[in-house]
Amino acid sequence: MPYANQPSLHITDLTDENVKFYLEDTDLSVANSIRRVMIAETPTLAIDWVKLEANSTVLSDEFLAHRIGLIPLISDEVVQRLQYPRDCICTDFCQECSVEFTLDVKCTDDQTRHVTTADLKSSDPRVIPATSKHRDDDSAEYGETDEILIIKLRKGQELKVRAYAKKGFGKEHAKWNPTCGVAFEYDPDNAMRHTLFPKPDEWPKSEYTELDDDQYEAAYNWELKPNKFFYNVEAAGQLKPENIVIMGVAMLKEKLSNLQTQLSHELQNDALAIP
Amino acid sequence: MNAPPTFESFLLYDGEKKIVKEVDAKVPNAVIFTINKEDHTLGNMIRNQLLKDPNVTFAGYKVPHPLEHKFVLRIQTTSDYSPQDALMHAITDLISELSLFEERFKEAVKERKEGLE
Ligand SMILES: [Zn+2]
Repeated sequence: MPYANQPSLHITDLTDENVKFYLEDTDLSVANSIRRVMIAETPTLAIDWVKLEANSTVLSDEFLAHRIGLIPLISDEVVQRLQYPRDCICTDFCQECSVEFTLDVKCTDDQTRHVTTADLKSSDPRVIPATSKHRDDDSAEYGETDEILIIKLRKGQELKVRAYAKKGFGKEHAKWNPTCGVAFEYDPDNAMRHTLFPKPDEWPKSEYTELDDDQYEAAYNWELKPNKFFYNVEAAGQLKPENIVIMGVAMLKEKLSNLQTQLSHELQNDALAIP
Repeated sequence: MNAPPTFESFLLYDGEKKIVKEVDAKVPNAVIFTINKEDHTLGNMIRNQLLKDPNVTFAGYKVPHPLEHKFVLRIQTTSDYSPQDALMHAITDLISELSLFEERFKEAVKERKEGLE
């Protein structure tokens, strides 16, 4: 590995919602691939099959199925052990490739009944809607919860659903994307002029700026090359922010080693083909 | 209605190869690899790593069309080295870099969590 970079890294902030870090001594291409893979190819769980056993609500079946699909499900502990249903040996769904959910609500009161993620019952206590995590905490002191509203029912209306969550990633559908935003920047004072501001003073300065208050842009330096990369990975709820980074990079490594394996197979076949 | 299946961008068709090698006979030591069902995530990273190798005289990649889920990678090397070796080494280097990143990130997370307790 003669030409491998040796990147160093510092975490500047780590909360339940996001992780901020900067990466040094690597290439823009690598830093960007890490960002891309976290968004598009880090697996999570999301409901992908819905059967509406009763629906007398104001919304159509497909509208509700879509809404239910978009609910973020906590996937940290389970997603790596689960199979993709297309790779699983079962015919449709099993324990190895899915998590079952049920919902059964009927409004019998005069008052409007709010059907929320709290009504969604999971067959696996580790996989629950991200908003249900703090259900038993004292944090609900304001009398309000963060539960996601699925639909409102008036008297006599009913909703009964059976659904399966499956493993997937953002390339297939955005509901599997574990991030809600990944901030990524290098060269905070634009010394490399990779972008051109007609009036630099009209632009807000980066939070990582090293300029004085009366300066708006660093002097142009054509010798510079991107070397320090600032990230802020915001989690959408399925995975903890640090897990998004860890699982994302693991995924990128897996992609590379798969490619390497396939390449060596191809080269072997090649060698055999030549007499 | 006529939308392509959602898995089209990452699942290989039956019998489709991940990587296909084609020798570029117009010049010595040049190979054009076609990597199916991959995009800029691997393409740009691999090309950049190849360019660091002094025995690589040319490395470039393109995604020929946004609706075709593949990229094409052309590598030319000096006479004592082959493009396939260059590609192998580039991937090995990237994996080792990412392993180091992974290790350091996990360590940093651990330190941070211990620091807060
Ligand atoms: Zn199964």
